[in-house]
Amino acid sequence: MKQAIALTVNGDVYEVLISPNQTLLEVLRDKLGLTGTKKGCDLGACGACSVLLDGEAYLSCLMLAVDAVGKEIVTIEGLSEGGDLHPIQKSFVELGGLQCGFCTPGIVMTAKAILDEEPQPTEESVKKKMAGNLCRCTGYKKVIESVMSASGRMGGKQ
Amino acid sequence: MEKQFSVVGKRLPMVDAAAKVNGSAQFTDDLTFPGMLHGKLLRSPHPHAKILNIDVSKALRLPGVKGVVTGAEIPDRQYGIVPKARDEYALAKGKVRYIGDEVAAVCAIDPEIAEEAVDLIEVDYEVLPAVFNVQDSIKEGAPVIHEGVANNTSFAIRKEFGDVEKAFAESALVSEDSFYSQPVNHAPMEPHAAVAQYDPVRGQVVLWSSTQIPFFLRRNLSATLMIPESKVRVIKPKVGGGFGQKIDMFAKDFCAAWFAMKLGRPVKFVYERDEVFIVTRQRHPMHLTVKTGMAKDGRILAQQFLSYADGGAYNSTAPTMMALSCFFLMVPYHVPNLLYEGYHVYTNKPVGGAMRGHGIPQARFAVERQLDLMADRLNLDPADVRTKNSIKAGEPHPGGFVINTCGFAESVQLAAEAIGWKEKRGKLPFGRGVGMGGASFPSGVTNMSHISSGAVVQVGQDGGVNVLTGAADIGQGAETVIAQIVAEVLGVSLDDVRVTAADTGTTPLDPGTFGSGVTVRAGNAARIAAESVRKKLFECVADELEANPDDLVARDGVIFVTGSPEINITFPKALKAYQYKDLPMPLVGRASWMADTNEPTTLFTQPGNFSPNYSFMTQAAEVEVDTQTGKVKVLKMVTAHDCGRPINPMLVEGQLEGSIAGGMGQALYEDVITEKGQVMNPSFLDYGFPTTMEVPEMESIDIETDDPVGPFGAKEAGEGTQLSPAPAIVNAIYDAIGVNFNELPVTPEKILKALEEKKKQGV
Amino acid sequence: MRLPKFDYRQPESIQEACAILLDQPDAKVLAGGTDLLVNMKHRVETPSMIVSLKGLRDLDYVRKANGMVRIGALTRLKKVYNDPFVAKKLPALAAAASSVGSYHHQTMGTLGGNLCQQTRCKYFNQSKWWRSARPLCFKAGGDPCHVAKKDQVCYSTYCGDVAPALLVLNAEVVLSGREGSKQVPLESIFSGVGKTPLNLEPGQILTEIVIPEQSADGFSTYKKIANRGSIDFPIVGAAVWTSASTGESRIALTAVDRKPVRTRQLEDFLKGLELNEETIQGVDGLVAKETQLMMSSIDSISYKRKLMGQLVKSALSEAMGGR
Repeated sequence: MKQAIALTVNGDVYEVLISPNQTLLEVLRDKLGLTGTKKGCDLGACGACSVLLDGEAYLSCLMLAVDAVGKEIVTIEGLSEGGDLHPIQKSFVELGGLQCGFCTPGIVMTAKAILDEEPQPTEESVKKKMAGNLCRCTGYKKVIESVMSASGRMGGKQ
Repeated sequence: MEKQFSVVGKRLPMVDAAAKVNGSAQFTDDLTFPGMLHGKLLRSPHPHAKILNIDVSKALRLPGVKGVVTGAEIPDRQYGIVPKARDEYALAKGKVRYIGDEVAAVCAIDPEIAEEAVDLIEVDYEVLPAVFNVQDSIKEGAPVIHEGVANNTSFAIRKEFGDVEKAFAESALVSEDSFYSQPVNHAPMEPHAAVAQYDPVRGQVVLWSSTQIPFFLRRNLSATLMIPESKVRVIKPKVGGGFGQKIDMFAKDFCAAWFAMKLGRPVKFVYERDEVFIVTRQRHPMHLTVKTGMAKDGRILAQQFLSYADGGAYNSTAPTMMALSCFFLMVPYHVPNLLYEGYHVYTNKPVGGAMRGHGIPQARFAVERQLDLMADRLNLDPADVRTKNSIKAGEPHPGGFVINTCGFAESVQLAAEAIGWKEKRGKLPFGRGVGMGGASFPSGVTNMSHISSGAVVQVGQDGGVNVLTGAADIGQGAETVIAQIVAEVLGVSLDDVRVTAADTGTTPLDPGTFGSGVTVRAGNAARIAAESVRKKLFECVADELEANPDDLVARDGVIFVTGSPEINITFPKALKAYQYKDLPMPLVGRASWMADTNEPTTLFTQPGNFSPNYSFMTQAAEVEVDTQTGKVKVLKMVTAHDCGRPINPMLVEGQLEGSIAGGMGQALYEDVITEKGQVMNPSFLDYGFPTTMEVPEMESIDIETDDPVGPFGAKEAGEGTQLSPAPAIVNAIYDAIGVNFNELPVTPEKILKALEEKKKQGV
Repeated sequence: MRLPKFDYRQPESIQEACAILLDQPDAKVLAGGTDLLVNMKHRVETPSMIVSLKGLRDLDYVRKANGMVRIGALTRLKKVYNDPFVAKKLPALAAAASSVGSYHHQTMGTLGGNLCQQTRCKYFNQSKWWRSARPLCFKAGGDPCHVAKKDQVCYSTYCGDVAPALLVLNAEVVLSGREGSKQVPLESIFSGVGKTPLNLEPGQILTEIVIPEQSADGFSTYKKIANRGSIDFPIVGAAVWTSASTGESRIALTAVDRKPVRTRQLEDFLKGLELNEETIQGVDGLVAKETQLMMSSIDSISYKRKLMGQLVKSALSEAMGGR
C-alpha cells in the first residue's frame, strides 16, 4: 500500500508517495532526482550511498524511506552552498582525492560526518571510520589526505 | 631559465573533479527519460545445459510487463571485442555455458515488476556434464563447451626466437618452476548499466553505456542487431571505474537497444552487484610453467614458457590476452632466446577478460618470483639480477621492440634505495621482509593498424577552446590529460578548454580505453589538432609581430617571439586580429594519429615493435607477517616509475596508488572462489578487496624520460604499475619468513600452513 | 536489489509492537536494519510485515542503577562504545561494539539488533537468483543443508561480535511481551538451532541488556580476526573476562557454531589454575571440543580452528599482563 510521506532533504520538504519497501536511496534517486547519491552494492557493504541523517553517516540503501520521516537528511547535493564547494569538496578536488568519482559523494558525506564529530581527527581515526567507503581507483592515499586537509581548512571545527 | 611548460607537468585537478564532488556528474544509471522502461535478465542456474523450452507466457501476462525476449528471437549474430574470437550471443541460443549465462530479458514499467516477471519465466533445461578446470577441460572426452572447438582450446599461440635448448645447455643454472594466478574481479564501484533510446522516424538507436569502448560497442551493436553503424550512436556518460571489465559489451547493451527498438520507449538495464561479480569479466586464472637458464652472474640466457589460461565460458579478449602475456616477457629484461606456448581453454565458469595488465600480471608474477628463486640459488642479490638484465634504450631488442627511452635499471636502484634494500634484505627480524618486482608496459599498440585516434580542436570567438575526442575517460583522467595537452599547445589555461568526448555521434573515431594507449594515441591526435590551430594563428599574427611564424611561442595566454617575450600579442587579441583579417571562424584543427607501423601485424612469426613506447617500473615492498594469524601487513610500497614526462603528476600518482591497492588485493586478499562453477563470494563483503585499513604507506618516485613519440614525452601510466606489486609482496614474504609462494593469493591460511610445515621439517 | 513487498507498522510503544507481533506471527521487528534488510533483499527473509522500532525513543540509553548497567536494546553501537563507563570499565563490550561492520553499521546498528542477528552461511546469504542454482536450503525454506549435505538441518553460523563480549560479562537480557517482561541470561536466548537461532516466544522483543557491575571489576577483552580491518564479519571472535580476585575466567567465541559459545569446560579447566604460558597451552584442544565448526563460510575449518585457539590464548596472555 502506497503512502504519502514528507521527507526533509537538504532543508527542503518533499511530499512523496511511496511504498514501505522503498529504501531511502531509491526515493532520493528515483523520486527526488537526487542522483548524486550512488548505488554501489545496495547491500550496505560499500558506502557509496552514504548520506547524513541528523548529521550522522547512514547507508541509505539500508534505510527504509518511511523510517527517515522527521529526520534532517543531507545529500551530496546539499553540501555545497550556492555554487561554492564545501571545504571538504575543495580538498578532494585540489588533492586529487577522487578518480572515477562514483564513490566520491559517499566518501565526501562520510568525511563530513567524521569531521563534524571529530574536527581534528588522527589519520588512524579517519582510516577506521572511512573503511566502509570502498574505492577501487585511488588506493585511498589521496582520499585520506583530502580529509586531513579539509580538517585543517575548516580550522579544526565544522 | 625559461620555463618549459605551463600546463603540462602540473598537478592540476581533473576537469570534472568539481562535478564529481558535488554530485552533478552523471553516470549511466543517473539518466532518466520520460516513459523509460526497466529491463532485467534471467540467467542460467546451470553451469552447462541445453535449453529445451522457454515459456514466457506468464511473464508477459504480468501487468506492467512490456516485453520479453529470448535467444530464439534475436538475430543469429555473435558479438565479441576481438572479431576473430566472437563466440557470444546477447541471449543464449539453445545452450547455456556457465551459471549466469543470459537466457531471457524482460522489460517492464518499473524495476520491481521486471524482477517479478523474470521469476515467472519457465525454462526447461537438459543439464549437461560440465567442466571446471583446465586440466579436465583439455582431456579427451571432456564435455564440449563450444561446438567445433577441439579440447575446449580456443586459442593456441607459439612464439620462438633464438635457440632455447642451446642456451639452456650453456646455462650455469636452469630452473623450472610452476606458478598460478587466481581469478580476480575488477569490481568497479559503478555497476554496469545501459540506457537505450530509439527514434523510429530516423531509425536511430542511441545507447548510453558504462563502457570503455564506445566505438567497438557501436560496431557490435550494429552487427548483432543488424542495423547500419550510422544508425547507432553510443554515448559514454561518466564511467565509475572499468579496469578493463568495461572493455567488453554485455547483454544489457544489446537487450536495452533491442527493447528500445521494439517498443519505441527508452529502456534501462542496471546490473546488481552480484551480477558484476559473476557475469561480467574477471582476470584469467593462469597456470604457468617457466624454465629459465641463467649464467653464473645472473644474466638470463633463455626462457621457456608453457601457459594455460582458464577462459571460462567464452573468449572475450582471449587472443589479445594470450599475445600480451607472451610479448611482455620480452621487457623489461633482455631475453635473448625465448619459446612461449600458450593455450586458452574454455571451462563452465565465469568469463575471463581484459583486466588492468591484461594477461601480463600472471606472467610477470611467474617471472619476478622465479628471478628471486634463481638469484637465491645462485647466491646473487635479486636487485642486482634485475639491473643486470635490464634492456637498454636504443639497443637492438631481441624481439624487435623499439625502445626509445628506458628508465628500468634506474628504477630498480631508486626503489631499492627508497625501501632500504641494502640495510633490510635478509637482515630484518623474522616476520619482516622486503621484496621487489619489475615491469614494463606498452602505451597502446603499433602493430594493429586499425588502432588510431582522431581529435578536433575548435577555438571560438571568445577564446574558448572545444576539443572533440573519442577517448573514453573512465575515471583515470583522460579528458583532463587531453585538455592539458591542448591548453599547453595553444598557450591557454586549462579553464579555457572544454572537452567533449566519447560520443560516436559527435566525436571522432577512437578505439577506447585499453592497452594504456589513450595518453599517447588520443593525446597525440589532440596535440596535432591543436598545433594546426596554433599554426593558423601564428601565421596570422606573424606580420604584426614582425617575426617568422616558426619563431613564435604560445604560452600563458600570450603569443610571443622566442627569446623576445616583450614582442607579444595576447591570445584574445590574436583571435580578434584573425577575425579582422576576414579569416573564417571558428578556428578548427583536425588530426588523426596512429603509431608508426610496419607491416605485418603479427609478432608471433616475426620480430617487430609492439607499442609506440614503453613504461618501466620497479616496485618494492616491505611486509610484516603475523606468524600467529598468518596475516600479512604491507607496511610500505615504493614505486619508481618511468612514464616518460608525466602530463599530470598528481593523476599519475593517483593511478599508481590505485594499482598498488589492486596489486596488493591480488597478492593477498582477492580470489573469485567457485564451487562447481558457482561463484561463492559475489559481494563486496565476501570478495573483500582492500579498504583504507589495509593499504600501505606509498611512495612514488618519478624517473622522467622525454620520450620522442609520446605527446610532450609522455608514456603510459597506471596499468604497468599493477604488474609488480603482487610479486614484490610475495618476494617480501619470502624474505620475511623464508617461504616461497608460487600461487596467488597468499592467504593467511596458506601462511600458517607453510609455517607449520617449516616447523615440522625443523628448518 | 529491491526489497520485497511488506506491510509496515511503526508502533508507539513496545507493548503495541508486541501486540502486533502476536497478531502477525510472520512479522519481523526492524531496529537498525543493517542485517534484516540485507536478508530481505536476498529474499531469505520475507516477512509479510515490518514492525519498525525506529520511532521508539525510550529504549536508547546506557544507565547504571542498583549495581547493574542497563542498556536499551535500541542504543546504537556507536553510542555504546562511546559511553565513558563502557569504554573504561567494560572494554570487551566497547571493543566488540566498535568492531562491528563499518563505522556506518555502528552508527545505524543497535545493540539489541546485533545480538538478534541472523546466522550466516555462504549458501544462504546470497541473492535469490544465485540460490536458484541449488535446491532451496533448509534455512531458506527447503530441505537440504548444503553445508552438512543432509536434509532438515542447518549449519549456519552465528557471527555477531557483541554476543561473546556480553556473555563473558554475564549479561542478562530483558524480553518484553504482551504479558510483561522477564529477565533471562543472555545465553538462554540462543537456541543453537541453525534455522531458528533465537529462543524468542511469539510477540517477544529483546528490550534491554543488563550487565552486573561486578563484571566491570575484572579484566575483559574482545578479539576478532577478520579478512580486513573493518566491515567484515569475524572469521573468529573471542571474548575473555578474568578476575584476579576470584581466579575465575569466562570465555566465549563467535563465528564457530550456530550460536555464540561459552566454553565452560575450558573455564573449568582454567579455574584455580595460575594463568601462565603453560596453562594457556592447553587451550587449543578444549576450545575445539566445545565448538562445532562447519564449512558455512569461505574460510576453512582448519584455519578457523587454529585462529580460535590463537585468539583465546592471546586474550588470556593479555589478561595475565592486564593484572
